[in-house]
Amino acid sequence: MATEELVLKITGLKTNFYTYEGVVLALDGVELFLRRGDTMGLVGETGCGKSVTARSILRLVEPPGKIEEGEIIFFDSDDRSGKITPIDLLQLHPEEMLHVRGKRISIVFQDPATFPNPVFRIGTQIAESVLLHQDLSREVVEMKIGEMRNSLTGDLPEERRSQVVEKIRYYEQQLDEPPEPDDKDKKKAAQIVAEEMLKLVKMPSPSSVMMQYPHELSGGMRQRALIAMALVCNPEILICDEATTALDVTVQAQVLNLLNELKKEIGASIIIITHDMGVVAETCNWVSVMYAGTTVESCATVDLFANPVHPYTAGLLTAVPKLHDTRERFPQIRGTVPNLITPPSGCRFHPRCDYCTEICKKEKPELKEHRPGHWVACHNPLS
Amino acid sequence: MSDDILVKTRGLKKYFPLTGGVFRKVIGKVHAVDGVDLDIARGETLGVVGESGCGKTTLGRTILRLLTPTDGTIEFDGVDITEIKGRELRETRRNMQIIFQDPMASLNPRVTVKNSVGEPFIVNRIARGPRMRDLVLALFLKVGLTEDHLNRFPHEFSGGQRQRICIARALALNPKFIVMDEPTSSTDVSVQAQTLNLMKDLQDEFKLTYMFISHNLSVVKHMSDRLAVMYLGKIVELTPGDIFREAQHPYTFALVSAVPIPDPKFAGRAQLLKGEVPSPINPPRGCRFHPRCIFCRDICTREEPELRDVGDGHLVACHFAGELDFGESVQQEYAVALADM
Repeated sequence: MATEELVLKITGLKTNFYTYEGVVLALDGVELFLRRGDTMGLVGETGCGKSVTARSILRLVEPPGKIEEGEIIFFDSDDRSGKITPIDLLQLHPEEMLHVRGKRISIVFQDPATFPNPVFRIGTQIAESVLLHQDLSREVVEMKIGEMRNSLTGDLPEERRSQVVEKIRYYEQQLDEPPEPDDKDKKKAAQIVAEEMLKLVKMPSPSSVMMQYPHELSGGMRQRALIAMALVCNPEILICDEATTALDVTVQAQVLNLLNELKKEIGASIIIITHDMGVVAETCNWVSVMYAGTTVESCATVDLFANPVHPYTAGLLTAVPKLHDTRERFPQIRGTVPNLITPPSGCRFHPRCDYCTEICKKEKPELKEHRPGHWVACHNPLS
Repeated sequence: MSDDILVKTRGLKKYFPLTGGVFRKVIGKVHAVDGVDLDIARGETLGVVGESGCGKTTLGRTILRLLTPTDGTIEFDGVDITEIKGRELRETRRNMQIIFQDPMASLNPRVTVKNSVGEPFIVNRIARGPRMRDLVLALFLKVGLTEDHLNRFPHEFSGGQRQRICIARALALNPKFIVMDEPTSSTDVSVQAQTLNLMKDLQDEFKLTYMFISHNLSVVKHMSDRLAVMYLGKIVELTPGDIFREAQHPYTFALVSAVPIPDPKFAGRAQLLKGEVPSPINPPRGCRFHPRCIFCRDICTREEPELRDVGDGHLVACHFAGELDFGESVQQEYAVALADM
């Protein structure tokens, strides 16, 4: 795959957790790539390392976890010039990482009940991210002009009116090279940006939500607020870590629809982490399937659903309960997800695989292009 | 006919008081379950679906008398159990069990699973010591666990295995009726399939009656003979048929349409329901669904519709049941596409 269209490329990522029971090999050579403008689904069962991958990308893995090796290349494009610079996120100094996290790459976490800080107003929390990451000088000048225009519509004595008009002209000259604003103005402008964002995510009555605390909102509204918070700095990559799992189907449908619409508007690439194949089919055009800390299959969504090549993916797809068929029993994958302290040798799926051969027990398969646009890590791929 | 009914509720209500102010005065009521008439036949599986907060869990717990009903009656096996207490209640409870959503939270982390599963035997003075161990082992083998597992603690098991332990415990006293409250919502798809298959096998073996509560429509559909859809404490539709094709209540139709279809060919076509579930503290007047209903007419805002039979035991609580035209849904097209495959 040509590198110019990629926005994120992960190779050989290994993350371990050092626990009392032993070293948990949570990620063992994850390979991922995300093209610009794509929505990629990252699917797999609990404990397969989906969330750890997301946290590794943002360098949010906390002790006892540690990113051991690998490369996470982020192709940052400049907003103005469009120039693309590759950055290895794992080599960045923690200080520099602060400029990437939340600004260039942002994340929406799983549980909307725990993530907005319960003691701050929604507006304050969204504005905080704006204040941290954005140069607001232009917005401040625009805000001042807007305020004055508003005052012009009211009843004003002639003398005062001409003063205001002059001031507007003065500020308009500043628009090209805005001066450094003071903190108070900046805060005000950040609030305005935050409210705009809430409108964008179709929050009902955004101005009152700005002043509310998280517990006053319903689950769906909280999730919208979190999405607004993540998108407010216009990130290159948005990661949704099980963002709709805690929601009811009807609300989930609303949020997924919103994500689809926003994508057209903001032009970010999205990674959707989920275990729900329905969500993937609904929103993603590319899928990567993970199993026990490795990527097992990666291809276009339509291709995956039509022709899964890895036995695990095939099993997973048939185990998804479908609404209409009248099978008496569910097809199942035998066994359970392995313990990652002592993962199986060779291919990690081999103890549960129906197509297992000798080589599967010894050698770990590499992720390679099985047919154009369809990557798979398997010794005996289904055809 | 009445012999075939195991559980029967009439006008069952459960309100939770809402307190506030300095003196914790009652300032309102949460109408969790608000007038439910339900018959569960022997040996059948009744599925209950609905969004969070619609009262499905409360309904399950009230039927088992884990919560005291505010109003209405519950009959179990021909006996009115609404008012019974003490020894009589304990005796009745031997015949009804519940499996909870989170198996980790319903097993004591400091007790070996053998003792957890064996506790019903001790409490009911059936067996103890080595005899209890044998009984527990028999149960373990039934649910696909082995002898090695007996003396372990809950944290040593995976989620699917823990759920099996809870199933074993529920089966211990040979009950007639089991309420399953979201038994698979915390497990993965591949393990979920195993658990559901196990429960179906056990139902055939022990002639169990299930009440299966879940918000996952596809799972419920697979497990159930009849399906009840709840909205704000009321049953709005109850059908022995395929709710995906024969939905008659606008809410059921919307709920069904919102389920993401695991096929990218149908992406982006889910029909959206406006707004969110209103608060059960002050449920809307008239039909509870009317503020979100696209077919809402004058009568809906004034009169509460009754659950009425529209044929073949299909009950719908809508003023216009059978008259509404929902159009072709994505789900129906998907069903056709699946049938062609």
